[in-house]
Amino acid sequence: MSVATRTKSFSRSRRRGRILNEIFLWFVLFIFFIPVLWIILTSVRIRSEINAFPPVWIPSGFSFDSYKILFGMPTPEGAFGLGGSIPVGDYARNSIVISLVSTLFALVLGTAAGFVFARFKFRYKNGTFLAMMLFRAIPGIALSLPLFILYARLGLSDTVPGMILIYVALNIPFTAWLMDGFFRAIPEELEDAARIDGCSHWGAFVRVDLPLALPGAAAAGIFAFLTSWNEFALASIITRTPASRTFPPALFEFTGQFVSDWRGMTAMSVLMLIPAVIFVAIVQRQLMEGLTSGATKG
Amino acid sequence: MSEKKKKVSRREFLKLSGIAGGAAALAACAPAAPQAPAEQPAEQPAEQPTQAPAVVGKPFAGKTLRMHAISGANYDELYKLIPAWEEKTGAKVEFVFKGNGFETDKRLVQDFAAGTVDYDVCWDHSSFFSQYVKAGGLEPLDNYFSEEELADFIPSLLDATRKDGHLWVIPRHFDISCLHYRTDIGIEKPPETWDEFKQMAIDITKNNPGIFGTQFAGKEEALTGRWYEIQTAEGGELFNEKWEPIFNGPAAVKAATMLAELYQAGAMPPDMTNYLWEDVATQWVNGIIGMYTEWYGWYSFFQDPNSSKVAGKFDLARQPKGDAGIHSGWAGHHGFSITKASKEKEMAADLIKWLTSPDGNRLEAKLGFLVSRQSVWDEIIAEAEGSDDPLAKKRLELALLQAREDFKTPPLIAEWIPMSNIVYPILQQIMLGDKEPQAGLDEAVEKTYELMKEAGYYG
Amino acid sequence: MTTRPLAQEAVASRRRWRISLSERHLPFILLLPSVIIMLLVIGFPMLYSLYLSLTSYTLTTAQNYDFIGLKNYATLLFDDPLFWASFGRTVLFITLAVNIEFLLGLGIAHLIARAIRGQSVARTLIMMPMMFAPILVGFQFKWFFNAQVGLVNNILYAITGEPHFIPWLIDKPLGFISILIAEIWMSTPFMVVILEAGILSLPQEPFEAAEVDGASGWQKFRHLTLPMLLPFIYTAMAIRSLDIARAYDVVQIMTGGGPANRTELIWTYVNRLAFTGQQFAVGAAMSYITVIFSWIFTWWFFYNVIKSRWAGGQS
Repeated sequence: MSVATRTKSFSRSRRRGRILNEIFLWFVLFIFFIPVLWIILTSVRIRSEINAFPPVWIPSGFSFDSYKILFGMPTPEGAFGLGGSIPVGDYARNSIVISLVSTLFALVLGTAAGFVFARFKFRYKNGTFLAMMLFRAIPGIALSLPLFILYARLGLSDTVPGMILIYVALNIPFTAWLMDGFFRAIPEELEDAARIDGCSHWGAFVRVDLPLALPGAAAAGIFAFLTSWNEFALASIITRTPASRTFPPALFEFTGQFVSDWRGMTAMSVLMLIPAVIFVAIVQRQLMEGLTSGATKG
Repeated sequence: MSEKKKKVSRREFLKLSGIAGGAAALAACAPAAPQAPAEQPAEQPAEQPTQAPAVVGKPFAGKTLRMHAISGANYDELYKLIPAWEEKTGAKVEFVFKGNGFETDKRLVQDFAAGTVDYDVCWDHSSFFSQYVKAGGLEPLDNYFSEEELADFIPSLLDATRKDGHLWVIPRHFDISCLHYRTDIGIEKPPETWDEFKQMAIDITKNNPGIFGTQFAGKEEALTGRWYEIQTAEGGELFNEKWEPIFNGPAAVKAATMLAELYQAGAMPPDMTNYLWEDVATQWVNGIIGMYTEWYGWYSFFQDPNSSKVAGKFDLARQPKGDAGIHSGWAGHHGFSITKASKEKEMAADLIKWLTSPDGNRLEAKLGFLVSRQSVWDEIIAEAEGSDDPLAKKRLELALLQAREDFKTPPLIAEWIPMSNIVYPILQQIMLGDKEPQAGLDEAVEKTYELMKEAGYYG
Repeated sequence: MTTRPLAQEAVASRRRWRISLSERHLPFILLLPSVIIMLLVIGFPMLYSLYLSLTSYTLTTAQNYDFIGLKNYATLLFDDPLFWASFGRTVLFITLAVNIEFLLGLGIAHLIARAIRGQSVARTLIMMPMMFAPILVGFQFKWFFNAQVGLVNNILYAITGEPHFIPWLIDKPLGFISILIAEIWMSTPFMVVILEAGILSLPQEPFEAAEVDGASGWQKFRHLTLPMLLPFIYTAMAIRSLDIARAYDVVQIMTGGGPANRTELIWTYVNRLAFTGQQFAVGAAMSYITVIFSWIFTWWFFYNVIKSRWAGGQS
């Protein structure tokens, strides 16, 4: 199962193949990484070199003005094409709070739902499960206007709880489906043993199933977090002000009708990537562990 | 199960929307009860405009005015006048939304449709206001602005937002198309007609490697509008008096054919059909365009050597004429409107007066905007006499001339943007050679007829 | 692979679950919050737009519209070649994207799984595109494919020494290929993650046996890896097919469906019609037609999942 032991079992004669494999891998990764590099580079370039023709390959210098503007520090040029200061702190707070809280709720509810689908038998179970998955197939743009009207009536538009609710709903189906697979992968004998030891079903769930399913929850959590973190169609309609606006619609604000601040946009993108990278880097080992335990198997 | 749930959420929904008091959109949801009982705040305040000045000094003390405004570029500078107004009136201004023009328009359309307007003043535009009027979102301004108060505004601007016998928008600044051409690549004099324009564009491309003769914004309303102004110059009309689309006549076909010929001759950048305003300006400042029609509003950007390779290397001219002898300039203006939902219309009008005052105009004129008051124009033209920029005065005089004589807005109907939405992909097809001009415009006319019919124009 | 109890035991243990009354209600109590939230946030708006799709509602006539039955649907289905063109293009887009993403994903997953060191770093790197908001991907690739100052043409310029102004987003197959590339860049990592998980969970014994028998790499892949990976492949491709509406953000920003409808997908068309064109009812009808098609697909897919998972059988 573990990669290390498997690697050892390969014979030495394969070494050259391995090295080729390594070179090829890092080459492919580099290709995939170009857009990331490009974003970072653009964010610190001198403005006149960004859209220059003929292209300027070697920057004549670097400028951190875009970051300074984002952090409200004075710059010689000032904010370009954008009125006033950019409430990047508010956006960051909203994005982090909304993504984390909605992920948490989606995990709790999705785990509960997955547990039910994996362990209980009841009428209309298949129907309920299918209905949930059908909800997943609906794209944001089809929901946007009716949801906007509903939210305005309920007083939820432009609020953080409103956004959390949306992302919880969007993430429950996939989470439930993944967790259903994880619970299924746990041998029922373990649970039965716990029951014999006097645990209630609830107790068995908490003591046996849940700890074993945790890596799976981490995997589901990554997907849920990234969905919320990057969602644009609904966020751009429901959020209006820094009270609830998240990063993706805020990125869009850098494009004007007449002027766009590409460098500012890339700078904010870099800021937006940092928490996501940290989150993924921390959880990616659990992700692999979780996914290999069988959740994604049909 | 889903039946039961549906009932619950419907009931909750009815209850909560009753509390919210927004009857309009509820009617949309429950068609049985269209005119719900909630109070209609629209009529009352209009009839008692004399109550406001009761408090001496600070007439709106303690009140909050909510505003839905455009933001970005230099648009926010004007809002620096707001603290002084707050000081004067005792009111407080709260921005419920700020965004670029397209975004602001999108939000307004949605808010008026959904009945979710919770602000008093909104940004408005001459190309867009007809939609808001049709949706019932705006308050007529005639009762809030006297004849004397309006007298100073350039008349063509006010006319551009009069509809159904009412004035809907107070203009803040305007813009109009103007021919920009390079003086460093052998253009001796600007083209007088669109025929000359076409030939020159092709010649410039031939004689100057690396430079395209011309360009246009190539999608959405920007493309439809550019085509519209050329076909107007050629003597075309979009609609007849019965609002039937007639833009498949010779003038319209000629305009579309010109766009196609220029594109296919390589006299315009190959990815032009993906350009919007910003992109054409970028190409221009990169120095790869010979001449094109552009808004005045970019001027300071174009003349800034830090951002522009063509600073000091271009001149301006009135738009070319067409066969009909018309110099048509596509024009539009930004302004402010009062929402029908506002409960503080007097206060809203007061803020609009403050922002469109001569002081507001002067502040915006300094940023390069073409402002809305004639008296301020006299001042800034006089000021431009002393400028070191030789173009400064010419620019202003030309703009004023165009505003008075060539000012041409798109048709003042709510269907302008939906219509453009039909027309522009077809214009693109014509330019890219997927369709013949006549066949394409016939199709566009047919679809537009359907649109207008659905909208109830033909009885 | 995972061990499962015999069928009878499973039935017996499940029967025990149903003994007490409170436990009989447990599934409903556990499901209820999810159901309520989803009905509120997704179910209700969908019903509302279903209702609107049967009316003449436009954004400027929101206070005054008529019930017109299935007219919007009929117009789209029988009288709008653009709808069918966009629909066909969307299906082609999904098919190409999902298959190419699968092949690339499988290749990269293999490379990572066989890497000697740096696996976590490689995995984090390859997941970078998943961390990009789709609108950012759109802006980025729009810029890459810009004819004048875009990265792709600039690289060609640097290599050949002559300026190239290839209009990537405009020319007929190129525009479609460009949006496809952006989508593939954005979504291949998802495939990599799922398929790598599959590769890592493969049992060792059959491979060792095959090695002893002197099987070639391709034979091992063809007869061992691929069949055992099938459940993962199935899952990853199906999830991607359902998720592809995410490509809306990317395409909307890169081309907006243009020029001349050459890159028009269903969702850019819905946006152009429902919001820019104000004909919300028609847009809602179009959403419904499309959603119903993807529901049929979802139903088919999950029906099979249910069958394989809940029949208690091995996948």
